Amino acid sequence: MRWLGLALVVVAAATLMLGVADLPPHGAPDAPVHTHVGARYLERGVAETGMRNLVTAVLLVYRGFDTFLEVVVIFSALVAVVALPRGRAARPDDGDDRPPAASLTAEGPAQQLVSVSPVVAFVVQLLGPFIAVFALASLYRGHVSPGGGFQSAAIFGALFIAIALVQGRERAALLVPRGARVWLQALGPLSFALIGTVGWILTGAFLGYPADAAAYALREAMVVAVEVGIAVGGAVILAQLFMAMEG
Amino acid sequence: MVLFGVDVDYLAFVVLFCVGLYMLVRKSNLLKKLLGLNVMETAVFAFLVTAGMIEGADPPIRTAGTGPLFANPIPHAMVLTGIVVAVSVTAVALALIVQIHAHYGTIEVDELKGLP
Amino acid sequence: MTFSWSQAVAWLPVLPLAAAALVPIVAQRNARAAGGFTFVVTLLTAALAVALTIRLVAEGPLTVHLGGWVAPYGIELRFDRLGAWSAPLATFFALVVPFAWRYLEGSVPRERWAAFYALMLLNLGGLIGFSLTVDLFNLFLAMEVVSISSYALVAVAGRGTAAWAALKYLLLGSVSSLLVLFAVALLFALTGSLNLFDVAARLAASEPSPAATLALASLAVAFVVKAALFPLHVWLPDAHAIAPSPVSAVLSGLVVKIGIVGLVRVMQLAGESGIALDVFSELLMLLGAVAIVMGAFLAIFQDDIKLMLAYSTISNIGYIVLGLGLAVPFAVSGALVHVFNHALIKVTLFLAAGSIIHQTGLRTLTDLRGVGRTLPQTCAAMTLGAMAIVGLPPTAGFISKWYIGLGAFSAGRVAYGFALVFGALFVFIYYVRMLNTFYFQRATREEVVAAVEPPWSMRGPVIALAAACLIVGLFGGILLAFITPAVGELLAAMGS
Repeated sequence: MRWLGLALVVVAAATLMLGVADLPPHGAPDAPVHTHVGARYLERGVAETGMRNLVTAVLLVYRGFDTFLEVVVIFSALVAVVALPRGRAARPDDGDDRPPAASLTAEGPAQQLVSVSPVVAFVVQLLGPFIAVFALASLYRGHVSPGGGFQSAAIFGALFIAIALVQGRERAALLVPRGARVWLQALGPLSFALIGTVGWILTGAFLGYPADAAAYALREAMVVAVEVGIAVGGAVILAQLFMAMEG
Repeated sequence: MVLFGVDVDYLAFVVLFCVGLYMLVRKSNLLKKLLGLNVMETAVFAFLVTAGMIEGADPPIRTAGTGPLFANPIPHAMVLTGIVVAVSVTAVALALIVQIHAHYGTIEVDELKGLP
Repeated sequence: MTFSWSQAVAWLPVLPLAAAALVPIVAQRNARAAGGFTFVVTLLTAALAVALTIRLVAEGPLTVHLGGWVAPYGIELRFDRLGAWSAPLATFFALVVPFAWRYLEGSVPRERWAAFYALMLLNLGGLIGFSLTVDLFNLFLAMEVVSISSYALVAVAGRGTAAWAALKYLLLGSVSSLLVLFAVALLFALTGSLNLFDVAARLAASEPSPAATLALASLAVAFVVKAALFPLHVWLPDAHAIAPSPVSAVLSGLVVKIGIVGLVRVMQLAGESGIALDVFSELLMLLGAVAIVMGAFLAIFQDDIKLMLAYSTISNIGYIVLGLGLAVPFAVSGALVHVFNHALIKVTLFLAAGSIIHQTGLRTLTDLRGVGRTLPQTCAAMTLGAMAIVGLPPTAGFISKWYIGLGAFSAGRVAYGFALVFGALFVFIYYVRMLNTFYFQRATREEVVAAVEPPWSMRGPVIALAAACLIVGLFGGILLAFITPAVGELLAAMGS
């Protein structure tokens, strides 16, 4: 078994080396990877989508369906974690099990007793509002500068976890109101389905955005709606994943 | 730069990928296996970004004073999406590992094998 | 807004996926309502898919360019004769979900029902997306939606052993997903495109390169893992046997087929780009033949009925892979029809087995002696399913296996033809053993004697499915006629 594992790694390494040895040299502007679809996006992307950040343009406009599936994937992760029984001591329905000798729960309360250094607590409280503003900025400016819905969601999620560590889970949980959770977590897929349908009505293509100059404001509004859906939905899902993991 | 007949950036991908694979195959601890999987994922992301890079080009954000060369935006979008997928899979795996630990009291594969 | 049927193709995956996000909201009021809502969504999806299939037959394939960006600049979904697989997918879900209503009451606590139903819809949406998309990166994402929901569904009934089975499934499944992502990245680096047919055309126009072959090979390996072909099947038996029965039906009948759909995509890529995969298809045939025999052989030794059915899936995947690998018209048509037939039969068998387990609380053949007398309708359905999976003539399963066999002999692969026959013999043995214990042995457990038929929400789907096993068998020619044009195209591209 030991040898089998090692042999697998060696074979994989050799195969990969053979494969990548043959790739066109990277970094050259005339490699096929740069002269086809990507080149067209770079050339016409700003005019076609109105976004200067072409990564966001690809994510939301050209390949919007990928991003729809992406928000569905992270929503599935949340549903998947919620679908599992909590990692507490063995449930009665576990029947014939051995008693959980050293379950994670035994360490659970102990972990929460670890006191947070006052310096860390102070820094988190001091920086918290600024981090939130940064998350908002990267959401709002995501189509003209680095940033976007998911980046914003990640920053919000990180902020939530920092607050939970410093202030305790219960206080952090107040940030995501219990009654609104089921709605907020669904915001990603739902905003995509909604805006996709609006695009269908306006342009005749699902997930299409009106391209004419007259509809500029409408297109902006649609983009912002999707971005907010991704950011808020994503952040709430990340926060809930953290809360569900307390084990 | 070329090493062993392979561009060194691609070589780094191969090394990273195999380090991850080794951890996944040989480590007995489930968390280490999961880490190995994440290292492999990172390797593939690095490969994608490398493929989309152009020597001396700006990031694909067309504001004033940039250009004329820009990196390919598609790999960036793919990696961003891929990271979200990787996070999702990792979350599910961690939840399962918590579950396994609660039930068996261990997350070592060697010990799990003998248990019903 | 002008309505066009091709735009409706976009709604086929979006409907269940968006509805999945609504399930927890519906469930807030009443957990039971979530089940009803999910059922309605699966019915709507099935109706839409059937309507699209009728359009397809009348007018030819429907294509939608999402966002209005023509491929390769945007993502393309195709509802062609292979994509029509989404119609049976949705229909099977519409039968499995009502079965789950009552089944869950005994096995999953009420507060997790919403998550269960949401996962079912996510699984369905992912499966549909996977069979429709011709964009490689989109294919990867649809596969991940299916994978993540499947991992969780295995563990949803909540025992530590289930979590361990799910984690084994997750680790192997993730490696396979990673191989797909790597292959997509490699093909993108070579061609700068992500649309399957555009990638193939650009590969065909450029110098043949080992990198392209490596990409196709790693795609094929990844999909073989997803399909649980014999030496890479290790994750399957535990995961499929431990999952709650409605989930086992979905996983064993439908989810493993993403490996097969994926292999068909690899064949399309290889055919259109002119990359020869001869060595690989030889290997596929060999492994397929080994899987047929080994899967059936291992099934004989199982006492747990669900474990037996899981091994039977491994054997049947062998049939399909062997058929694809042979690459002659008879065999490929047979293989693709068997994708449908095996799904139908396996869903029937797992739901019938689930009914038996649900009503008696027992799951091994030893304990279930004589159950045929107390649960006559359910066991009759099980018998019909067993006949179909053996491939006895009037049932589904006969015609597809017959065509794969014909293909093997017509391609001059007599050894594979005999492997098929031997496989069928083993299958016959273990199903006869099952029927023997059900009908001709004296009950030894009082649970079996006291058992009554399940409620109609469970019995109805099982009887409908069993009837379908018979009806599809009688009209199997229609399926073959439906799929033959697609097979013609596939093989014409491969130049054989």
